[in-house]
Amino acid sequence: MEAIRLAAVTKTFGETIAVQDLSFSIPAGGLYGFIGPNGAGKTTTIRMLMSILFPDSGTLEVLGHDTALEAKDKIGYLPEERGVYKSMRVGAYLKYIARLKGVADAVIDARIDELLHRVELPDVGASPCEELSKGMRQKVQFAAAIINEPELLILDEPFSGLDPVSMRLLRDQIVKEHERGATILFSTHVMPQAEDICDHVIMMHKGRKVLDDPIREIRGQFDIGRVLVEPLEADADTSALGGIRGVEAVRLRDGQIVLELADGTDQARVMRRVAQALPVARMELSRPRLEDVFVRLVAAEADA
Amino acid sequence: MSKVLWISLREFIATVCTKAFVIGLLFLPVMLGVVIFVVNLMDDDDFRATGRIAIYDPTGRVTVEARQVLRSGSMEQRLADSVRASGGAFAGAADAMEALDLGPDFTLMQLSADADLESEKQFLLQPPESGGLLALVEVHANAIGPAVENSDFGSYDLYTAPAIDQREMAAVNLLLREAIVNLRIEAFGFDRETVDRLMRVAPGESITVTETEERDSIGGLNFILPAAFMFLLIIGIMGGGQGLMTSTIEEKSSRVVEVLLSAVSPMQLMAGKLFGYMGVSLLGMSIYLAVGLLILASFSLFGLLDSMLIVYLFIFFLIAFFTVGSFMMAIGAAVNELREAQSLMMPVTVMLMLPWFLWIPISRDPSSALSIAVSFIPPINTFGMLLRLSSTEPPPVWQVWLSIAIGVAFVYVAIWCAARVFRIGLLLTGKPPDFRTLWRWIRAG
Repeated sequence: MEAIRLAAVTKTFGETIAVQDLSFSIPAGGLYGFIGPNGAGKTTTIRMLMSILFPDSGTLEVLGHDTALEAKDKIGYLPEERGVYKSMRVGAYLKYIARLKGVADAVIDARIDELLHRVELPDVGASPCEELSKGMRQKVQFAAAIINEPELLILDEPFSGLDPVSMRLLRDQIVKEHERGATILFSTHVMPQAEDICDHVIMMHKGRKVLDDPIREIRGQFDIGRVLVEPLEADADTSALGGIRGVEAVRLRDGQIVLELADGTDQARVMRRVAQALPVARMELSRPRLEDVFVRLVAAEADA
Repeated sequence: MSKVLWISLREFIATVCTKAFVIGLLFLPVMLGVVIFVVNLMDDDDFRATGRIAIYDPTGRVTVEARQVLRSGSMEQRLADSVRASGGAFAGAADAMEALDLGPDFTLMQLSADADLESEKQFLLQPPESGGLLALVEVHANAIGPAVENSDFGSYDLYTAPAIDQREMAAVNLLLREAIVNLRIEAFGFDRETVDRLMRVAPGESITVTETEERDSIGGLNFILPAAFMFLLIIGIMGGGQGLMTSTIEEKSSRVVEVLLSAVSPMQLMAGKLFGYMGVSLLGMSIYLAVGLLILASFSLFGLLDSMLIVYLFIFFLIAFFTVGSFMMAIGAAVNELREAQSLMMPVTVMLMLPWFLWIPISRDPSSALSIAVSFIPPINTFGMLLRLSSTEPPPVWQVWLSIAIGVAFVYVAIWCAARVFRIGLLLTGKPPDFRTLWRWIRAG
């Protein structure tokens, strides 16, 4: 079953095309990254999924409904531009959101208590929201997003403005929600974050989808043919490496030797030759990063 | 409970349980009390009209008679009679009564027949302690008797010092009037007391007859009651409308709105806010109404009020509130901060100002073509019809219900348009829209 399905969706604001002919689907239980630079159309797409905006053309389905309005109680949403009622107490705010999301009154208090413990803010229930730091507010907002134990959790830039400790905590909670069975669509312009969490990535650029594949396939598909070598001795003679068949260039970067390989080169053979040429402390195939993939795709598009 | 009701409840509690609401509710009555208290405090209970008055009197009799009037102390009685006979409409009566409380202390000086009035006027500019005059009076030669039979009587010209008190002026005028009238009556061979008795007609009991009852009339009620009801309506609408706009701006600027829209539709959010503030406004209006009814009851005037008028007040309040409230909410959604809302609010402000201009003409003639037309033109028909309903000449029932039907239809249009602006404006930031852009949103929404 698909949790989300978009077909040929287009959205414009005046002369600006925010999203163009976008199609993708996310299976129930998936953990998808929705990535791309600022202005790529991610937030507009998410707002259309949430029925906050409506597409000019195309169709979309959310949890089997034509509009998210019919499924809002099953969806958790952490918007990019998020706020709280400053003078409201944290507990009252979470209770209000829970009621709006259709959570039964009988379980609300226990759910709030559990969530505040999960985001490591067990004592803030009686505090006014305005007394919380930005990071604390963000955790409260995440708690509000999952207070209805959603089937679908949509997170728009959830880590922006968080310190590394809070970022790790939030990451763990996202994974926990996924393990509970929620489908997760997680938007970010910081691609390593998606690489770290997601098992599938949809990449946007200028309102269009440029990539829609599992992370593992992307790595295979965009193998950048590069071997990283760390010699055992800092002053080792590396002149022989350039002579290995298939090695196009040898460069030094951050104390490591980077071997650029020609297309179709047998990487295992090159690595055996390197080991024969000099003693190595560490040697590995360089894995393509999503940023590299994005740059290559955008460059290819520009060339076309 | 539905989501709309939860939103309403939050808006109601968040507004009512604030110091600002309580202070705002008490502000008006407290201010009225303070003004009355301060005015009474500043009132000079020991005031006495005092000064020198020079009289140029070609008749040679007015000054003498004026001195006699001062000595006799008859002015007070005469003024009281005038006030009673005129039903309180005697011009300057309050000033004169206050001036006569302790009896005026005027020194009257009769100028010679060849006196130079222009030179005498210079004394008006001098302080009393240096011999300055309070007033200079030039009595007309025909003030007591007309020069030609059956022609008009003359009067007098009064020149006063720049710093003369209103109460002193009233006392001087009253004194001269008394003296001249006495002399005229004497000249015609009548007796003042007889004339006064002939002139005195005690005001009759005034009964207002309606289709259903007869009730005591009160002078000025046909103006006061409509104004009171219009005031209640405007207070209720403005309080709620302003709150709706500012709370929408706050939710938009603090970015809460997108969180809310993840749980409810824009229409649910709008409806919830409207109902919440409707409750706030109803509470405020009901408190003011209850105070007004208590005041009426304390003066045994409760019977003056038709109970249906209160029912109509609430019906027209709901119509006017939903119209103005939805407009205000749309404005709040379209702008980023309160300052930007000023220009968009102009039509709403004009709409709320119009009733004040229409109050007098409608109260004076509730069945005029203007009054009838205004009570059917939305969005001001609510005010127009309520003014007519609370007047002494209420409109036919079919007109009332036609006005209500027109109002309800207009509420539907207002909410429909506002909802489109609300939905689009909520998530937009940057330059605030102008009226043309708002119209585009309504058409595109």
